[in-house]
Amino acid sequence: MCLMDPMPARYAIRIRGHLGATVLTAFPALESRRRGADTVLTGLLDRSALYGVLAEIEALGLELIEVRRL
Amino acid sequence: MAPAAPWLIDRGDLVAALDRASTRQVTIISAPAGSGKTSLLRAWAGRPGHRVAVVQVQRGQQDDQEFWLAVLDAISQGPRAATPDFNAKATVDQVLSELAGGVTLIIDDLHELNSPEALAQLTRLLTNLPPQAHAILTMRHDVRLRLHQLRLAGELAEIRAADLRFSERETRDLLDAAGITLSASGAALLHQRTEGWAAGLRLAALSLAGHPDPERFVAEFSGNDRTVAEYLIAEMLERRPPDVQDLLVRTSLLDRVNGELADLLTGRPGSEGTLLELEDANAFVVSLDPERTWFRYHHLFSDLLRLQLRATLPEEVPVLHRRAAEWFIAHGQVVEAIRHTREAGDWVDAARLLADHAFSLTLDGRAQTMQALVRDFPKGADHPELALVRAMGDLEQGRLDQAAAQLALAEAHVQATPPERRRRLQVAVASLTLSLARRRGQLAGVIEQAGFLASGQFDGDIALGSDLRAVALMNLGTAEAWTLGLPAAPDAERHLREGAALARQIGRPYLEVGCLAQLGFASLVLQSFAETQRRCREAIALAERYGWGTEPVIAPALIMLAATLIWTGEFDEGEQWLQRTRQALRTDTGPDITLLLHQTAGLLHAGRGRHQEALEEFGVAEHLGSQLEDSPALATRTTRWLLATQARLGMVGEARALLATLDDERAGSGEIRNAFAVIRLAEGEPAAALAAVAEVLDGTALVFGDVTVIEAHLLAGLAHHELGNRRAANQAAEQALALAESDRLVLPFAITGSRELLEALPRHETAHAALLTEILDSLHGAPPPAKESSSLPPTAELSPGELRVLRYLPTNLSRHEIAGQLYVSPNTISTHLRNIYAKLQVRDRSSAVRRARELRLLAAGRRTK
Repeated sequence: MCLMDPMPARYAIRIRGHLGATVLTAFPALESRRRGADTVLTGLLDRSALYGVLAEIEALGLELIEVRRL
Repeated sequence: MAPAAPWLIDRGDLVAALDRASTRQVTIISAPAGSGKTSLLRAWAGRPGHRVAVVQVQRGQQDDQEFWLAVLDAISQGPRAATPDFNAKATVDQVLSELAGGVTLIIDDLHELNSPEALAQLTRLLTNLPPQAHAILTMRHDVRLRLHQLRLAGELAEIRAADLRFSERETRDLLDAAGITLSASGAALLHQRTEGWAAGLRLAALSLAGHPDPERFVAEFSGNDRTVAEYLIAEMLERRPPDVQDLLVRTSLLDRVNGELADLLTGRPGSEGTLLELEDANAFVVSLDPERTWFRYHHLFSDLLRLQLRATLPEEVPVLHRRAAEWFIAHGQVVEAIRHTREAGDWVDAARLLADHAFSLTLDGRAQTMQALVRDFPKGADHPELALVRAMGDLEQGRLDQAAAQLALAEAHVQATPPERRRRLQVAVASLTLSLARRRGQLAGVIEQAGFLASGQFDGDIALGSDLRAVALMNLGTAEAWTLGLPAAPDAERHLREGAALARQIGRPYLEVGCLAQLGFASLVLQSFAETQRRCREAIALAERYGWGTEPVIAPALIMLAATLIWTGEFDEGEQWLQRTRQALRTDTGPDITLLLHQTAGLLHAGRGRHQEALEEFGVAEHLGSQLEDSPALATRTTRWLLATQARLGMVGEARALLATLDDERAGSGEIRNAFAVIRLAEGEPAAALAAVAEVLDGTALVFGDVTVIEAHLLAGLAHHELGNRRAANQAAEQALALAESDRLVLPFAITGSRELLEALPRHETAHAALLTEILDSLHGAPPPAKESSSLPPTAELSPGELRVLRYLPTNLSRHEIAGQLYVSPNTISTHLRNIYAKLQVRDRSSAVRRARELRLLAAGRRTK
């Protein structure tokens, strides 16, 4: 079992609603695209960066719909 | 908690739900930001009949001590202060006992608690709550507490996001209460778009109030795909005047703000009024104190404002952080200052601040935060200032080699430091070097190098210099005290006194207790046993006021009190203090005091004639002593007891073998000569024993104190006794009694087995009949005095003169003879006796003695001299 996966991987993170320019500055390392009423953030993240993004989503009161490793 | 109606409407169902939940021992309210967790708590706790204690967890809290002291402060008043050696378990035990009265403990924002130690102790607290106590915890996400047992027992209730959601009816009520006129379909649309999310509804209400066309606002909002919070916060901000928007955005980088700070960051006056208005308007600004001087923004709100600040005024961000840092440093709030300095990107300044305030932060109980700040520095960049801070962390964790390495780095950096800060750094390094040397038991040479600590002026601001100076005095005085030598004793006393006085002056009780504990310990070199006991008890009393009665900081006073009680023959009380010392030393605080603990335990056994148990304790002490490179005084004392105990148990061969390993200097000391005499007596060679102690008695051998000479007299007496020289034996016993009189030392007589020697001494030939009787009583195992004098009828206080006479009552001296020993007339004695009998409510001499024992009036430590 690999507890400390050191290799970054591409993730797609789907969030409910369209993120405005201000909120998007909270995710400088990710690319954003609108998918219907949602926003999908994609980017290369290692494990701690991924959890950092998830914490940011929580702090900003955003609704997380899906996290997928590409 | 503020009693104000936080929602504008009465959410009776929700409050009732919490009422039901809170009949269980633990209630968890777990829901995302803005769900209305805190508002629910305010509404619930604001009603009469609840005894609540509310703790707001600080943002990103990393110090378990700061957290637990906040919990204690919320529950009860009392003198409390942070300590560098925080005992979480004892603090949680105290919290548990305070909660027993039926208090509900509320912890808000538990997800901010970022300390595994604190969470582990919190789990223990929650699973051991007293029957009448309850706890309510709020959090944004489930926190890892191990509460499955509570859950299985049905003692865990949960309120989650779905429970907190506003219903459609509540949404309409909210709009009505805010004076907003909106059609039924508009209200339904708003409820649908916000999904009953409390923060969304509150934000919408703020924008809708006074809006020219509320229906249009709701229609635009629901037709927009932006996230609820972002859309509504932008809308709400746009409806505020530009200077209010500017204030909110610029101050968003603060965790808490007051009017002065906001004026500073906006460059405009009058911010306090704005903040008060915002709070009154329910606009996500909350005051933190009853006087409403400090405010914080709702976390979600401030996080969005921060993003806006970075997006709109990027070049201002470091400038604002620097201004905030300056304000915090000027107001003594170092951690915030360091955080803002770091956020400004000024890593060098942040490192300097950390190094300059490392001692103060440790004393404030912020050591964990300090080390976390150090870990946050970018890897690879070289910040020599941090070596000092890292050394403190290593020392605290017992990583002595790493501490030494970091101290070497810090020392190397001293010369490169600008002159105005050089001395401060030097003092800090020297102070830690002393502390490290003590932990290793290597004091030789260190004190000379650090002697400059005692003198000296400190540049820079007074408070900063005072903390550092008080720590330096404590560490220096402590190191001097532990050399246990006569030459260093006056310095130790002076430095510890100065340190205690300074600590009191600057409000550092931990340092005051530390200095006084070491002072009590150091006393015996120059002071009487009674004075030493008095000082130790004083230090212990102060420590107990802060709940540090069994903490490492007070251990030196505890062990010295135990030891002096044992020396004066009060074995039972001594044993109790010995037990307290063991508790206080459960964490490693250095080999020397642990050695002393075993040595004192050995003495207690030896005094009670249990030589086999004594042998074990002395053996452990001897082993520890062999690890102390530079404490010959302590090591020699231990070796002497081990040798004598071996001899008394007939292990003459082992004793001689150990003796052969000692160098000439140690072998020639009075203590080892006495031990040799014990060996010779055990070998049936009393004449040789006499020869062994001769140099102790004529003053040629070096001794550590009178006790060694008393012991030598007794050993000589025993040798004379064996040789049949009755007269010489009596003389030796009388000389031992004379030396033991002022401190009323009983232990040497017990350990040497001098009972026969004393019993053979004719009462009318001794000038120390009272002491003689006390010692014989103790050797016979007189019944221990009653523990609780309160169960006895009250007794009028005896005068010093009466107490002096009282001491002679257990002897068989007549009134005339007592009068002779006290140089007063027999009539005076008769008067005293009448008063004593009356005050003790007894009729005769033997019941007076019994009563005096019960009242502990005949116990050595309690008497005035």
